[in-house]
Amino acid sequence: MKSLFTIKSGGAASWAMRLAVAAVLAALMLWVPTRGSDSLIEVCTTAFTLMAAALSLNLLLGYAGQISLGHSAFFGIGTYTTAVMVTRWGWSPFHTLPVAFVLAFVVGVLVSLPALRIKGVYLALVTLALGMVFPQFIKWKKLSWLTGGAKGINDTGFKFTKDNPTYEIFGWNPWGNLRGQNVKPFYFWVGAIIVLVVYLICRGVVKSRVGRSLVAIRDNSTAAAVMGVNLPVTKGIVFGLSAAMCALPGSLSAIRTGTVTADTQLLTVAGSITFLVIMVVGGAGSLWGPIIGAAVYQFIIERTGGWTEPDAIPALFRPFFGWSKTAPGGGLFAIALILLMFVAPLGLVGLWRQHSVRLCRVVPKPAGTTTISVMAAAPAAVDETHTA
Amino acid sequence: MTLLRTRGLTAGYGPVTVLHGLDLEVAEGEIVVILGANGAGKTTTMRAISGTIPRAGSVEFEGHDVHKSAPDAIVRAGIAQVPQGRGTFPELSVEDNLKVGAFVRRDGGGKIGADALRWFEVFPRLAERRSQRAGSLSGGEQQMLAIARALMSRPKLLLCDEPSMGLAPLITQELFQVLERLNKEEGLSVLLVEQNANLAMHMADRVYLLETGRIVASGSAAELSADDSIRKAYLGF
Amino acid sequence: MELFLQRTVDGLSEGSVYALLALGLVIIYRGTGHLNFAHGEMALFCAYAVYQFGEWGIPIGIAVVMGMGVGFLVGATAEVALVRPVARKSAFAVFIVTIGLFQFLNWLDGAIWGGQQLPNTGVGSKQISYPSLFPSADTDFVSIFGAEITIKSLGTIGLVLVLSAVLFFVFNRTKLGLAMRAVASNADSAKLVGIRTNTVLMLSWRIAAAIGALGGVVTAGNAQSVSQSLMFSVFIYASAAATLGGFDSPLGAVVGGLAIGVIQNLTAGYVEWVGQEMKVGVSFLVIVAVLLVKPSGLFGTAKVERV
Repeated sequence: MKSLFTIKSGGAASWAMRLAVAAVLAALMLWVPTRGSDSLIEVCTTAFTLMAAALSLNLLLGYAGQISLGHSAFFGIGTYTTAVMVTRWGWSPFHTLPVAFVLAFVVGVLVSLPALRIKGVYLALVTLALGMVFPQFIKWKKLSWLTGGAKGINDTGFKFTKDNPTYEIFGWNPWGNLRGQNVKPFYFWVGAIIVLVVYLICRGVVKSRVGRSLVAIRDNSTAAAVMGVNLPVTKGIVFGLSAAMCALPGSLSAIRTGTVTADTQLLTVAGSITFLVIMVVGGAGSLWGPIIGAAVYQFIIERTGGWTEPDAIPALFRPFFGWSKTAPGGGLFAIALILLMFVAPLGLVGLWRQHSVRLCRVVPKPAGTTTISVMAAAPAAVDETHTA
Repeated sequence: MTLLRTRGLTAGYGPVTVLHGLDLEVAEGEIVVILGANGAGKTTTMRAISGTIPRAGSVEFEGHDVHKSAPDAIVRAGIAQVPQGRGTFPELSVEDNLKVGAFVRRDGGGKIGADALRWFEVFPRLAERRSQRAGSLSGGEQQMLAIARALMSRPKLLLCDEPSMGLAPLITQELFQVLERLNKEEGLSVLLVEQNANLAMHMADRVYLLETGRIVASGSAAELSADDSIRKAYLGF
Repeated sequence: MELFLQRTVDGLSEGSVYALLALGLVIIYRGTGHLNFAHGEMALFCAYAVYQFGEWGIPIGIAVVMGMGVGFLVGATAEVALVRPVARKSAFAVFIVTIGLFQFLNWLDGAIWGGQQLPNTGVGSKQISYPSLFPSADTDFVSIFGAEITIKSLGTIGLVLVLSAVLFFVFNRTKLGLAMRAVASNADSAKLVGIRTNTVLMLSWRIAAAIGALGGVVTAGNAQSVSQSLMFSVFIYASAAATLGGFDSPLGAVVGGLAIGVIQNLTAGYVEWVGQEMKVGVSFLVIVAVLLVKPSGLFGTAKVERV
């Protein structure tokens, strides 16, 4: 395939491109919280929550090839750890994040134990069970003294008062007064930092030796075991890490909304499915996939949220959706998801990789820098024996 | 009379072409052996004839062009294949395996049952295990079952893909004796793919030598083994 | 004793619905190795359709048959248009497509029939409650050893038993069943004996979806209404039932479904400590325990892993 430009990986042009992308991102990150509308800031913060959750799932599914339909439970562990510690024991919200991280890690490792023996569709169902049981567990009467039962918990976030109007980092206060609407950019930044942290952890794992053994597990666990990858420990740690990272956006949502209940969508199986489809739409097995997926998802849902009255729907779409009073976002995203599986099982990132070659070809460095681009959860159709 | 004739048979997997225009013939009542090393295209030839992979070129069976037919039509026309690596139905009982073999037949259950009994006579060890799951049989028994299953469709031509693979020499010999007997007594034509040149040459009427998807030599077994260069390069004895 | 009997029968009746959906999941899984995540939503769409037929004045008996016909169509469309083209790419993509179908159908139900429970005279429903296949007035029960067993429960259990018997006959005694078992066991060899594997797979999806439709109608009938969230938990229980019984065993699906129904009802009834909320937890604990001992379920066959 011919391409307009050819650049060398690691060369000046490649660095220039990276810098340009980074500059655009940085500009957006500064512009939105300072100049953007309140609703835009809110939407972005929600998107950050989904990004972090989808990223954590991606480490497990996209790289280790282990399916989980129970990540909503880990998200919920974050939410409820923060809620309980803030309201019952008076902790400062941010201090609960490490606790949530560790707790979810432990639960994740525990869940990975049966997963060592149970495989494929059965594992999918076991994790689905986890997602299903978690909200019920929270609502369990025996635990309502702690979790508030079906009613949930209130005042789980910061209480900014006249005397205590802001959050200072070692006496430094970059945000000013955080009461009322002013608090939105603050959560925007917290969300962005959580995404960054989760991204860096994922990147660190993926680019490390562990990351390579992960891909080995994903592509063929029996073969990997024969080659000397320590399966139980590697799988356990990855499962735990993935769970732990998913708890962070969970905590954020408790801090940001100030109220938690077990039936919140993201804490139920519906949440697990949301994380999964976001990850897949963006591109499983790529670090940027979940980030792009979450942005697209949030954009579609937000854009079409008001399309319940024919007048509010752009003329182009009116004939398709004007007949119903239900917002079409969910349906549109589902259609996009299905179509994407037809053209690019590796999601938007996969689609970009397939077609960006025409615009610009990046020649890899000669040795030792092969990038991971194939997802084994989607093995090529032609893996029949070529022996003849 | 020619039973099977391929002209320019070309096939492969996705972007990879494995067969580059094979011209093969099998006459009625013949045992024809295709010899070749790993990767020569032997299994691909079998798949291309039975229609389980996309193919180009012509395939004629009893004078009818079948190169566009679906696998089930080819079985109905009278070609049965014993695939490489047994190809039985491990979760089904031995008896059900035979019944599945007769899937395309439209004649009544009585005749099918009678045929099954006949193959149980030919392969007495299968009879002992008729209600066991096929997956629990030994390698040799599974190969016998796979052959019996293929015969249940009453084929005119039997395609056998490396029946000796993974079997003890004695069992392989036994299998080949059965094939020879069927050929002599019933007039069953056989197209056999083998790596094991020594054994297969004995019963072959004619032999094709296959190398990287092309026929490099053909003739009667005697002719080929008479040619010193061929014998040394391909037959290894 | 009466209470025990009553709770067991209630459990069996609840479990019958799980068994109906689990059967469909198993039929599809055996053929292709795919978990149809949209199975519950396909059933729900049919349950909505039957509501709509009822609104048009079609009697329940005919409406159910038509609903199963809708299921037949939905199943065929899903298999031919969505699953088969993607199956060539990867099994994971198929799983995601069924999740997409799950979301799409759920959205479509809401878009057509709205988010509220139906029938609802507030939005102009003519029916007062969802049409039930069985007499379900308060007085429709029989006394067995003093326990009051509703006709509805007995009917549901009977329906599942009869349907299972028919399916077992089809599977084990007919040529179609033989073909289905052969494709499940070894699809490549099935082609070589002249079975049109694609036709068999499409039939599996159709049959599964039609049985699912019946499950949807029975669920809605028992709940006396249909709503967008009706089938999701039923689907999860059904997949749990299939997991417990073994994903490639129809017998396992039925046994697993009934077992889960009974376990749920008995623990919720007798172990006060567990209560209504955590009865889910108990049945899933049982399943995980079973899987740890038998990773392929009670009646499933373990396929040997090859390098």
